[in-house]
Amino acid sequence: MTLTLIDWIIVAVYVVGCLSAGLWMRRFIRGVDDFTVAGREVHVNLGIASLAATELGLVTVMYTAQLGYEKGFAGAIIGVIMALAFLLVGGTGFVIEPLRNAGVMTIPELFEKRFSKRVRWLAGVFVALGGLLNMGIFLRLGGDFLVHATGMPGSWLESVMTILLALVLLYTVFGGMLSVLVTDYLQFLIVGIGIVVTSVLVLLNIGWANLIHGLQSAWAAHVAAGIPAAHPFNPAHPSNFGWGYLAWQFVFQLAVVTTWQTTITRVLAMKDSSSAKHMYRRVSFYFVGRFLLPGLWGAAAFVYFTQHGGLPAGLDSSSAMPRYLGLVLPAGLLGLVVAAMIAAEMSTVSGYMLTWATVIYNDIITPCLKTPLSSKGQLFLTRSILFAIAAFLLFYGLWYKMPGSAWDYLAVTGNIYLASVFTLLVAGLYWPRANATGAYAALVLGAIGPLTFLVVNAVVAKDHQIAPEVAGASSFTLAFLGMILGSLLTAAPARTPAATPA
Amino acid sequence: MKDPFILFWAVLLFGSIAWYGFLVFYIGIKAGGEIKTLIKDLRLPPGGAKQP
Repeated sequence: MTLTLIDWIIVAVYVVGCLSAGLWMRRFIRGVDDFTVAGREVHVNLGIASLAATELGLVTVMYTAQLGYEKGFAGAIIGVIMALAFLLVGGTGFVIEPLRNAGVMTIPELFEKRFSKRVRWLAGVFVALGGLLNMGIFLRLGGDFLVHATGMPGSWLESVMTILLALVLLYTVFGGMLSVLVTDYLQFLIVGIGIVVTSVLVLLNIGWANLIHGLQSAWAAHVAAGIPAAHPFNPAHPSNFGWGYLAWQFVFQLAVVTTWQTTITRVLAMKDSSSAKHMYRRVSFYFVGRFLLPGLWGAAAFVYFTQHGGLPAGLDSSSAMPRYLGLVLPAGLLGLVVAAMIAAEMSTVSGYMLTWATVIYNDIITPCLKTPLSSKGQLFLTRSILFAIAAFLLFYGLWYKMPGSAWDYLAVTGNIYLASVFTLLVAGLYWPRANATGAYAALVLGAIGPLTFLVVNAVVAKDHQIAPEVAGASSFTLAFLGMILGSLLTAAPARTPAATPA
Repeated sequence: MKDPFILFWAVLLFGSIAWYGFLVFYIGIKAGGEIKTLIKDLRLPPGGAKQP
């Protein structure tokens, strides 16, 4: 084991403190609104802390470090694009302003006001399906980090992650969004400290000049030997992402910041649309570091192992970073980093579980009920769904094997609903001619690209697999075509002005 | 440091470390106060008067 007694004490103090704070918040739950959107009482800074903590999970650290290992600093360009998207949307209020003003609890709820009840239900199914598949690999990747960073036996992975999931489930089931907010706050603090300390120590260990030289010389050596390798600094270089991928990423990230339900949940929990826009502008640069700092750890791991005889057996581009941290971080600090990464995992899993449970309750089950449930019934139902999601995470997370890199898997599964729901949102809010037929067409056509990617790439050889940017770009194109043609070829909506939210 | 890409990433990297360090303290203090206000508001019955 790499962890010493002092490391274990730090981890235990954090986990117990976080659990206690989460459970304490359950006393303030008065109804389903408090449980799902914290009674819409959230102010800017708490919103920033919660959004940042939820969107920076252990899974994020793993895939951004993997990008850093494989593509050098250029891998962090996705964070730069994401930050630009947050800044653009926060500055203009594009989508989020009318969405928050509509007073809905979830995005599909808006679709009932704008299109029809059935569109809401179908959108709810797509949102939940894409979101749950996306979340399916969180436990496995998080467990990989803990195994390699702490040096614990690989056979413990399932048991450790099951216990961690049970703890998260406990406070989320009792305190809902209120517990998630308070634990997100604690997690934001410890993750922030952990990331800053780790980045400084990594830079001190590897040395800035050595890191740059190591990346440059490794790339030059690969090129000279005719081995495919990504340019470590230029993301637009044909050997790295290339312009096509970057263009798709811009559209994709614009869709993420306006459509991704876990992000939008924070918008909907804010006290007004002005606070939501303010939160977006202030949090934007955080997303550069979200990709760049773990990317630095991954790039440093690459240089370190290259200069120390190559990657040890049993490691790959994903597990190299945690093993490297386990080797270079001193006792005490390793405990802090592991606690920070556990914090990152807990905040993301709790936020995501609650979000998808809210969608399933609010948009899939509730529209089918003939008699509205009592307040207690609503809470019981939402909590039961949380249990079901946890069970799904355990089983799916343990047997599914990713066909490519973690980032591509996350981007493509998220795309199952991002392309179609983004199309519905933009058309629903800004195009009076959009109607329910166009919405159905966009939902179905938008999901075809990513679902084809998942199925085809799971069964064909690597040389014949579909590129992620092709699957992603085709889903956006098909969704917009479906919306435009479906709406123009059928009758205009009857109550256009009233249907548009204030 | 002649390569503009390296300069670009160096600025963003050190800027990110500084920004994360600043946010931990700034948001830590501000959001802590907002949690207190949130809890105070939630102690009120639904529809009750709220803090300004």
